[in-house]
Amino acid sequence: MSVNERTNQTAVAVQDARKTYQVGEPVHALDGVSLALKRGSYTAVMGPSGSGKSTLMNLIGCLDTPTEGRVIAHGKDVTQLSSRERTRLRGSEIGFVFQTFNLMPRLTAQENIVQPMVAQSVSRSERDERAKQLLERVGLGDRADHRPNELSGGQRQRVSIARALANDPALILADEPTGNLDSETGASIMELFSELHEAGNTILMVTHERDIAEHADTIIHLRDGVIEREETVDAPVRPTVGGDP
Amino acid sequence: MDLLESLRMAWRTIRGHRLRSTLTTLGVVIGIGAVITFVTLGASLQGAIVSDVAAGSSNDVAGGSPEMTVVSQLQSAAGGPGEGGGGPAVFTEHDIRQLQQTEGVETVVPAGTVSLSGVTYSGQSIAKSTMTATTPAYFSQTGAGNFSAGGSFSLGEREVVLNGAAASIFDQNVSVGDSITVTRSSGTTINATVAGILGGNSGSSGEFGSSDDSPPPEIYGPTDPFHETRLVSPATGENQRVYSQLTVVAVDHDQVDQVATRVTDYFTADSDAQGLLSSSYEVSVQTVDASVKQMQSLVNTFTSFVTGIAVISLIVGAIGIANIMLVSVTERTREIGIMKAVGFQNRDILQLFLVEAVILGLFGSVFGIFLGVLAGYGATMFLTLPFVFPIEWAGIAVAVGVLVGVIAGLYPAWNGARIDPIEALRHA
Repeated sequence: MSVNERTNQTAVAVQDARKTYQVGEPVHALDGVSLALKRGSYTAVMGPSGSGKSTLMNLIGCLDTPTEGRVIAHGKDVTQLSSRERTRLRGSEIGFVFQTFNLMPRLTAQENIVQPMVAQSVSRSERDERAKQLLERVGLGDRADHRPNELSGGQRQRVSIARALANDPALILADEPTGNLDSETGASIMELFSELHEAGNTILMVTHERDIAEHADTIIHLRDGVIEREETVDAPVRPTVGGDP
Repeated sequence: MDLLESLRMAWRTIRGHRLRSTLTTLGVVIGIGAVITFVTLGASLQGAIVSDVAAGSSNDVAGGSPEMTVVSQLQSAAGGPGEGGGGPAVFTEHDIRQLQQTEGVETVVPAGTVSLSGVTYSGQSIAKSTMTATTPAYFSQTGAGNFSAGGSFSLGEREVVLNGAAASIFDQNVSVGDSITVTRSSGTTINATVAGILGGNSGSSGEFGSSDDSPPPEIYGPTDPFHETRLVSPATGENQRVYSQLTVVAVDHDQVDQVATRVTDYFTADSDAQGLLSSSYEVSVQTVDASVKQMQSLVNTFTSFVTGIAVISLIVGAIGIANIMLVSVTERTREIGIMKAVGFQNRDILQLFLVEAVILGLFGSVFGIFLGVLAGYGATMFLTLPFVFPIEWAGIAVAVGVLVGVIAGLYPAWNGARIDPIEALRHA
């Protein structure tokens, strides 16, 4: 899908979502949140701990369903889907990038990248081909057969980004992607995200750090389960590509 | 996720924990190994017994044998007729004649044990404690063996028949027409001509494999002149030869049970044997069919007993697999979370762990079969039994291994499949 086709379509939308946990007293982790992530957009979510960031991530990532309200992913109402369908949608439309990388320790870089495609029953030749392309894409063409413990932190995060891209998802969901990396490596990862954004991918990133969040076009400030404000970044940081298209 | 992919992933996990997997499998290996060992041993034992019993039978056991063995034995003595008869020689020639006239009886073949001190051939003496005195019918009617050379001895002649082992016991092989000297335990000697040599075993034992790799050497002679044990027949008042064992052959197999009843009736009534036997002995009539069945049921009891024990060890093995799978699921909670996050379904996770458990069970059973066959082979060699491996048990063992895997893996796999990805990803 080209960048043009994707613009002005919504990748994932959250409509007045509430999430209540019953821990003795009911806790409202999310108390009526609405947002729409346009295709090709680059959004950051900021907020102190306990603000509902993780809950929002889980809802958008189709890992969880709201107590009230709706989540629309790739045109489908997630709340109406069975657990099976939700898992399938998650596998094909959401790519996760975690702070702790979350790679399978016994699998090589390429085998890790292939996982989401195995889950979607992509043929072996096709997924191996795609994995090779993705490894090249994240600059690890020569690391295909290395296990995570043979890779540096930055390389691991690149593998995990390649895995997130495996099924060409509607949304890349990154949870503190630079949290476990030194600032230099973190910068190179942010560079990669910018490249992905330029290539038309939709990115939602959760972060604590203002300078990381400023890579995005929009920053959503979350506090006590509600959106405090939505900030448009005047000049998003664009490490290499830079400038407006 | 297709099965092949689960297999690859499960195999990788198993290989990743080589020692753990081996130890886990060990329970099943021992269980299956024990079952296979004893099943093999049981089948071999049964094969040997059946072929031993059948060796004295002219007919194929499978088709039913018309023969029965009559011996005297201690009252309430368990089991069938022992080797060479259990009790004293009490069956007189009068008894044999009477039995011969019983309805449905084809032949009565007497057999008596003659005590020897040795046998001499071309200057070489071999110690030999017994020989069997019988009639030519022993070979023609009961099919104790086929002659590889010559034929039966004749009654009243100084002739003997040797089996293959006895013919080759001397430095120089004995052949038909040669003369050998039999020395009785009393010291008297009989020079006898070798009338025939039995080749191997009777044909009926062939189906159980070669049971006689080294059968004991046997010498057979005619009752006259070799058999000298005599007693006064109460019925006739004559001094007659008495035998320790009779083989009664019925006209045909269908009548064997009726004939056996008639023979028993004869001996419980006014037979010589009844008169000669002390009160603590009784006459036992047992058909070949019955003794084969008796042996088989004995072996079956033994086999099922040991199999029962082995099943217990299989259960222990299954618990071992279940235990290690539970540990494995807990250890891999985070991995399961990742897999679910990237789109694996619950049933993919279930399948993955189930396949892993089944592989463990399967490996256990395959190595168990290997171990069991090896141990069974060793045991049969040690006991000089024919080695019989019931091949269908290999299939049963593999099926049991898979079943053990499924049963042991089901709960842990289900546990793994139920893991909440959000919780799992938070798992350190």
